[in-house]
Amino acid sequence: MGYSFLEQPMLLSQALHLTSILLASASFIGLTLGAGLPEWLAALTGMTLIAVLLQNMGMKSVDRFTTRMPVSAIGWNLIVFGGFVGFWIDLLWVSGDLLPAGLHFLMILMVIKLFNLRLRRDYLHLYAISLVAMLASGSLMTDLWFFPIFSIYLLAGAWTLLLFQLTKTSEVGGDVWMPEPIRHERHEGSHRVSPRLFWIANGLAFGAFLITVVIFFTIPRVNAGIYQKGFGENLRMSGFSDKVNLGAIGSIKRDPSVVMRVELPRSPLNDARPFYIRGVSFDRYDGKVWTNQLSYRRSLIEESPGTFTFRGKRAFSRAQLGEAIQQKILLEPLDTPVLFAAPFIESVMGMFPSLFFDATGAVYLPFPSSSRIEYTVVSRSNVLVSEDLGSESELYPESVVRQYLQLPFQPDRIKTLAAEVTQRQHNPYEKATAIQAYLTRNYRYSLDAPLAEQQQPLEEFLFARKTGYCEHYATAMVIMLRTVGVPARLVTGFMATEWNEYGNYYVVRQQDAHAWVEVYLPHSGWIRMDPTPTEDNPAAGGPVWKVLGPIVDNIKLQWNRLFVQYSAADQLAVVRELKAESMSVRNKALDSMTVLFSAFMTLLSEIVSHDVSRIRIGLLGELLGFAGISLAILFWLRRRRPWTAWNLWKNDRNDELVIVQCYRTMRNYLIKKGLSSSTAIAPLELVEITRSRWRDAHFSVASITELYCRTRFGHIPLTYEDLKRAEDELHHLLELQKSSL
Amino acid sequence: MTSAETIRAIQENIARVIKGKPHVIEMCLVALLARGHLLLEDVPGVGKTTLAHSLARSLDCSFKRIQFTSDLLPSDIVGVSIFNRQKQAFEFIPGPIFANIVLADEINRTTPKTQSSLLEAMSEAQISFDNKTYPLNPPFMVIATQNPAEYHGTFPLPESQLDRFLMRLRIGYPAPEEEKKVLERASSLHPAEELLPLLTASEVVQLQDQVDKVFTEESLTEYLLAIVRSTRQSELLALGVSTRGALALSRAAKALALVRGRTYCLPDDIKELAPIVLPHRIMVARQTGLHQRSFDQAERIIRDLVDTIPVPV
Repeated sequence: MGYSFLEQPMLLSQALHLTSILLASASFIGLTLGAGLPEWLAALTGMTLIAVLLQNMGMKSVDRFTTRMPVSAIGWNLIVFGGFVGFWIDLLWVSGDLLPAGLHFLMILMVIKLFNLRLRRDYLHLYAISLVAMLASGSLMTDLWFFPIFSIYLLAGAWTLLLFQLTKTSEVGGDVWMPEPIRHERHEGSHRVSPRLFWIANGLAFGAFLITVVIFFTIPRVNAGIYQKGFGENLRMSGFSDKVNLGAIGSIKRDPSVVMRVELPRSPLNDARPFYIRGVSFDRYDGKVWTNQLSYRRSLIEESPGTFTFRGKRAFSRAQLGEAIQQKILLEPLDTPVLFAAPFIESVMGMFPSLFFDATGAVYLPFPSSSRIEYTVVSRSNVLVSEDLGSESELYPESVVRQYLQLPFQPDRIKTLAAEVTQRQHNPYEKATAIQAYLTRNYRYSLDAPLAEQQQPLEEFLFARKTGYCEHYATAMVIMLRTVGVPARLVTGFMATEWNEYGNYYVVRQQDAHAWVEVYLPHSGWIRMDPTPTEDNPAAGGPVWKVLGPIVDNIKLQWNRLFVQYSAADQLAVVRELKAESMSVRNKALDSMTVLFSAFMTLLSEIVSHDVSRIRIGLLGELLGFAGISLAILFWLRRRRPWTAWNLWKNDRNDELVIVQCYRTMRNYLIKKGLSSSTAIAPLELVEITRSRWRDAHFSVASITELYCRTRFGHIPLTYEDLKRAEDELHHLLELQKSSL
Repeated sequence: MTSAETIRAIQENIARVIKGKPHVIEMCLVALLARGHLLLEDVPGVGKTTLAHSLARSLDCSFKRIQFTSDLLPSDIVGVSIFNRQKQAFEFIPGPIFANIVLADEINRTTPKTQSSLLEAMSEAQISFDNKTYPLNPPFMVIATQNPAEYHGTFPLPESQLDRFLMRLRIGYPAPEEEKKVLERASSLHPAEELLPLLTASEVVQLQDQVDKVFTEESLTEYLLAIVRSTRQSELLALGVSTRGALALSRAAKALALVRGRTYCLPDDIKELAPIVLPHRIMVARQTGLHQRSFDQAERIIRDLVDTIPVPV
C-alpha cells in the first residue's frame, strides 16, 4: 500500500476498495493453500480478484469490463440463486459434504460481491464472507503458511476498518443546491490517504497483531475465562477438609449458592429422593473432631484417555450391587479436591490429569479446581441383602473392626443409652434402624445450636439440648452404633432435593451440605442411613421465581456446557454430527427423488399402456381443466409481459434501484414531516420547499435529489461515492431533528 | 462555450433590457429552442415588443415586425408578385414573414384570413404562393402579441389556431425596484439597440438540434400523457389538450431541460411548463359558468389538474 501515498495520495474510497480486496484476497489465498477449493473455482476467484485489483489501480480496460458488466440487479439475483442451487447439487452429489460445498458457495458469493461493490453494505458483506473464509482456512491449514496470510488479513482488516470509518464521517456538508457539477470534488483534498493516516493505520494493525499474539500465548488453554473466579474466591467448603469439626456445617447451611449440578439420564423415582452425593467419610472421632485415618491416596487407573476406573477392586465391595447410576456433574470451583458423586464410584470420565482415591472410597483431584469442571461418574450403591436381615452373626472383616469401632475416651452415658435403645434388637441392621428411629423421633432439628465450642458436644446434644442438626445426629448415631459393636462411619456430602425437570438435573447448593451415616453390615457392606429428620427447606424467592428459577438455571447450565466448556473435542463432535446429518439429508433427498421418479415412471407407463377407449370422462375433464389453466397462464403472460421486468442484459440499473429507494424514503419522510402533502410533487419542487421551510435538511435533500434525478431520469450511472454519499445524506436527514421549521 | 453557457449568456443579455423577468426570458428561449412560437398576452406597455426585439438582437438574426390591423392583407405578410417589366415575368417579392424572428403585434386585430396566412407559415415553416412554395430560413419564430383587455374590433384566434403557438405567456408588471431601474436608464436609445448579437442563426439551429437529443425517460412520457389525458377527462373542460399539445409540451420540456443545462428531462420541467404550454389549447366548459377564454381560469384548471397527477418516482 505504500506506493499509493508516496506519489499521488489515494482517495480514501479507493483505498477502502483496495484494502477490502486485499482482505478478500488473503482469505481466498488461505482457502486455496488449504486445498479447500477446486481448481476452476480457485482460478475464477483469483481472476476476479486480479481484475478488481487492476480496476482499482486504474486500468481503464478492466474497468470497462467490470463496472459495465451488463447484468441487471435481477440478473445478479438469479446468479446468486443459481449458486445456491449449485450448492445443494454440490452437497448432494458432487462433494457430498457440507464443508467443501459451503466453501464453494462462499467463494461464488465472494466473486459476485466483488463485482457488486457499490454500497457500504456490499463491503460489509464482503468482510463477513472473508471472515468466514479465513476461519475455514484456519481449520483447513495447519502449516506455517497460515501465519503470513493471517498477518496480511490482520493488516488489511485494520486498514479496512479504519477507512470504513473515515469514509463514513468525512462527508462535509455545504448548503447550496448545485444542479450539475459533482460537488465532492471540492473536498477532494481531505479525502486522500495522507502519510499520517498511512502510519496510523499500519501502527494500528501492528498493535492489533501484537495484542493478538499476547492474548494467544497468555490465555491458558483451559476451559476458564481469565475473569473467572480465582482461587481466593472459591466457595468455602469448610466441611471438606481432612477433619470435621462438629458444628462446622451449620454455618453453611444457610448459603444458597450453587455448588454443583448433577444431571441424570432420567428423572429419579420418588423413592430415590433425596439424592445423596457422597464426599468423604470419617472413621475417627476424638470427642470433638472427626478425622479420616485412611487418607492414604492412590492413583486411579486411567483405562482410556479421560476414563478412570477402580478396575473392579472397589474398597469393601460386596457381591450384590445396586443399579449403575450414571451422573454428569458440573462442579463449581471449590476449595476441596474431593470429587463428589453418588456412592460408590465405579468409574469417572473427565479431562483430569490424574485422580486419586483412598480406602474409604472417596475420589480426589490432584488439587482443588480453580474453574468449573465437568465429569461423568458411574456409581453403584450396595444393596441390603436378606442375610443381614435375619442373621445374628457379627462376622466383620478385621480391617473394618480395626477402623470403624473406634470410640472417644468416655462414652459411658452414650453406651448406656445405646444399649437401652437396642436392647431388643439382635442383628446389626435392626440395631441401626432402632438407633436411627430413636434419634429421628426424640431430637429436634435446629440450625441454631452453637455446639462447636463446648467441651463435649455430643453429650450436650444427646442429653441436654436434644437439639441439633445433621452432624450431631450422624455423630450420635455412629458413636451409639459403635458402642453396641456395629461398625459405622460418618459421611459428609450433599443431599440434593432440588430437581430441575427442564434439564433433568439436581441443583445442589451449599445449604444442601449434609452429614449422614454409613453402617457396615456383614453381608451387604456399607449401607447408608440418615438419622436426621427431614426438614422442609422453603425455596428461595417468590412464586414467580419458583417457576422461572429452574428454567433460568437450566439455561445457565446449557450455556456452560455449550460455550464455556466447548473444546476441540466438542468441535470435532459437532463437525462429525453435521457431516453425518448432511449425509443423511442427502440420502433422504436421493431416496425421495427416486420415489418421485418411480411414481412418475409408473404413471407414464400406465398412461402409455392405457387403451384409448378406456379414457374416462373424468380424465377428459382433467385434461380440459389443465388446458384451461395453461391458456389462462399464457394469456396472463401475454398481457402482463413479466419478462419485460426481467431484462437481464439491460444496462446496470442496480444503482438506480438504490438511489430511487433512497429518494422514495426521503420523500416519504418529508411527506410524513408535513413538508409536502401529495405524491404529485416533483423532485426539484421538493428541494425548493425544503429550502424554504426546513433549511437544515436542505443540503441532504438537494444532494439525494440531484443524484436521483441524474440516474432516474438521465440514466447516468452513479459511482460508488455517489451512492455512498446519498446513503449517508439520507441517514443524516433521518437523524435530523425537525426543529427549525 | 457549451450550450448551457451560451444559453445563460443570452439570458443575461436580454435581462439587461427586460428587468426582473428572468422567467419570461427563459420561456422565450425555450420557445425558440423548441422551434415553437410564442404568444404574449398582456396589456400594452409591459415590454412585449421589447422582449421580442431584444431576443432578435441577441441573436444574429433578421427581425421583422408586423403591426396587425383590421385592414392588413395576407400579402402584406407573405409578400406579393409584381410584374417585372425587364424580365417580362412575375416576380415574388417576399413579405416581412421572411425573417428569422417575426413580431406579430396585436395579432387579434386583423381578419381571420390574414391571421391564417400567418399561421400556415408558422406550422409549415414555408410559404405557398402562386403554386410555388418558398421555405422560410431557419430559425423561424413568430412572437405574437395580443391585448386581453380589448374585445371591440378584435377577431379572437380560434383554439385550432392558438394551438399553433407553443406557449402563451404573460409578462406582467415589473416589481417596483425593477421598474425604477427601467426609468433610471440614462440612454435615449431604445434599450434593445444596445445589445450585441451572441449567436448566429446556424448556431441557433444547432441548439435546436440539441433539443432533439435531450433524453426523456419513459415514465416521464407517461406522466406527460397522464396530464394530457386528465384534461380530456376533466368535467371542467369542454375541450382537452390535443396530441399536438402533448407534442408541444414534450418538446418544450426538452428545451427547458437544455436551457437549464441538463441532457435529460425531469418531472419538474413538465410540471412547470404545463400551465404555460397547455392553457390556450383547452376550452373551459360552458356549464361551469366561467368565462370560456379566461386566461387565468384555464391556467388555474391546468394547475389543479397537474397537482393531482402523481409524479413518477
